[in-house]
Amino acid sequence: MNFITGLLNAMPGAVSQGLIWGIMAIGVYITYKILDVADLTVDGSLCTGAAICVLLTMHGVPVGIAMACAVLSGLIAGLVTGIFHTTCGIPAILAGILTQLALYSINLRIMGWGTGGGKSNLPISVDKYDLLVSARHVRDAGLHNPVLLLAVFCVVLIAVLYWFFGREIGCALRATGANGNMARAQGINTNFTKVLGLMLSNGLVALSGALLAQYQGFADINMGRGAIVVGLAAVIIGEVIFDKVFRNFALKLLSAVIGAIIYYVVIQVVLRMGLSTDDLKLLTALVVALFLAIPYWKGKLARRSAAAPAVVAAAAGATGKEDDGDA
Amino acid sequence: MKKSLALLLAGVLACGLTACGTPAETPSEDPAEGEATGTYTVGICQLVQHEALDAATQGFKDALTEKLGEDGVKFEEGNASGESANCATIVNGFLSSDVDLILANATAPLQAAAAATDSIPVLGTSVTDYATALDLAEWTGTVGTNVSGTSDLAPLDQQAAMIQELFPEAKTIGLLYCSGEPNSSYQCDVMEGYLKDMNYTVERFAFTDTNDVNAVTQSACDASDVIYIPTDNTAASNTEAIANVVLAAEVPVVAGEEGICKGCGVATLSISYYDLGKITGEMAYEILVNGADPATMEVKTAPNVTKKYNAANCETLKLTIPEGYEAIATEETAE
Repeated sequence: MNFITGLLNAMPGAVSQGLIWGIMAIGVYITYKILDVADLTVDGSLCTGAAICVLLTMHGVPVGIAMACAVLSGLIAGLVTGIFHTTCGIPAILAGILTQLALYSINLRIMGWGTGGGKSNLPISVDKYDLLVSARHVRDAGLHNPVLLLAVFCVVLIAVLYWFFGREIGCALRATGANGNMARAQGINTNFTKVLGLMLSNGLVALSGALLAQYQGFADINMGRGAIVVGLAAVIIGEVIFDKVFRNFALKLLSAVIGAIIYYVVIQVVLRMGLSTDDLKLLTALVVALFLAIPYWKGKLARRSAAAPAVVAAAAGATGKEDDGDA
Repeated sequence: MKKSLALLLAGVLACGLTACGTPAETPSEDPAEGEATGTYTVGICQLVQHEALDAATQGFKDALTEKLGEDGVKFEEGNASGESANCATIVNGFLSSDVDLILANATAPLQAAAAATDSIPVLGTSVTDYATALDLAEWTGTVGTNVSGTSDLAPLDQQAAMIQELFPEAKTIGLLYCSGEPNSSYQCDVMEGYLKDMNYTVERFAFTDTNDVNAVTQSACDASDVIYIPTDNTAASNTEAIANVVLAAEVPVVAGEEGICKGCGVATLSISYYDLGKITGEMAYEILVNGADPATMEVKTAPNVTKKYNAANCETLKLTIPEGYEAIATEETAE
């Protein structure tokens, strides 16, 4: 069974890519599910994180610090979107698009730093620098295997976020997304929490970009293209599959990561089946649309069965899904 | 109940997805049946659907198939559709099926392949500058690792000389390119040096994507006597938009490759991406069959260049082209 062994061989690579994009998916989860806004900044901030990380590493900065700076750049990108949205009153989706657009130029400038112009691609070789993760080691056994390292990375990240969202400020952030008016009535400055959420989200996305650049060996101006779709797909796949099993907030974050892994495993399977990559985007769009539709159909189905008297009792439990509340 | 429904739907979807795929390669034959040379598997990762890149891939496949026979080589192809992050996924697929060689068509696939393996031979094509792409401190003609390949660099000094030959009395040359393409800005850097040595004033005009091609081209026309466009993929897909501006402004365009010249230029020094792919295919044969070591193989460039001109545009701009130029075939004559 050549197909199966080939597929198994592909798994470490698919899983490590899934874990990297999983961090990005957690970022998308914060804006899309918790804050209830679709933030398109991520297409740009992914590349910003990658660019900053590669640039600093090339100039001799230790990878850890370079990644911290990448997160910082993501926070700033989120801050800009947040200011566009709150202070300037621009609708969130448009604010994100504007920042994303601006980031294209900024990313070119970052990668061209020191050369006096813009640059669209920066290579970083694992042979020359001490990188945290690299596709080179994906089939090796040992501590430098990216799968292991990234899994630990994700767990720690989720733990930190779990702690954060359990504190007062984190709860305020969640309340803002759940019901803005109510949150304001409770004395929460929702503008502040929105900006904070956008910053946090883009910080995570930039971190994911920094890891991705190290993994694939380069930062590229086009690497963030379509990132939001991958992020959304991961969040939604995770939600549809684990919605009823994972109740705890930390597990909900985990489900986004697992969603990203599933996404990449499916892509790898589909590619191994011999699907032309020309059709990949259509396929991705269909997957996301379908997974977005499933919760809606489920809700409709539940309401219809609720109308039938015989199954009222059975459906009562299921209709509660709309407000199952991340809080 | 609901959970099982969701799982069922997810399962059906996954099956549906996998069923969509039509196997591009024939299911594995018995390996024992192979010839003495055996069947080679070659993974081809291409950055984006594009005329020039497609031609290079085709040339590579034709050369290898010709040398090894239809049954001697199997190709696994992946196209990243312009999303450079996809290259890592595609290359991962190649590694998992133990390909014998990877063809990386354009810069990002080359980088992804170089990051993913240091043992499987990787050949690049349509890459302009290997030193920049792979972050090599000094360039000695070889990469020195498992990577080698072909460069699509048309001799820029000859292109500069061509501008001087055609437009000796021009003063300002505008360099028009997309800031998102590393190859283009590299070529403009080199070109700027040559042109300045010829006492031209050089100004650079970079657009960021398809949307501002029009506006940037307009300002390039206003400021320059002649415009030079390097082998730029974005420009190549927007030749009509560029033509509408430059022909109206009566500013001649010298292009880095034939496709751009055909759309909006007057003259070009042309390399053939198909030939480039063919040379890469011959290098692949050396590696696969004769056991050549990519570390010692020099990066090659296109075998021959031709001076060509666009007859229709030259007529519109009332330019006389000197001897030694070949008219670019129009659609009718080409078919």
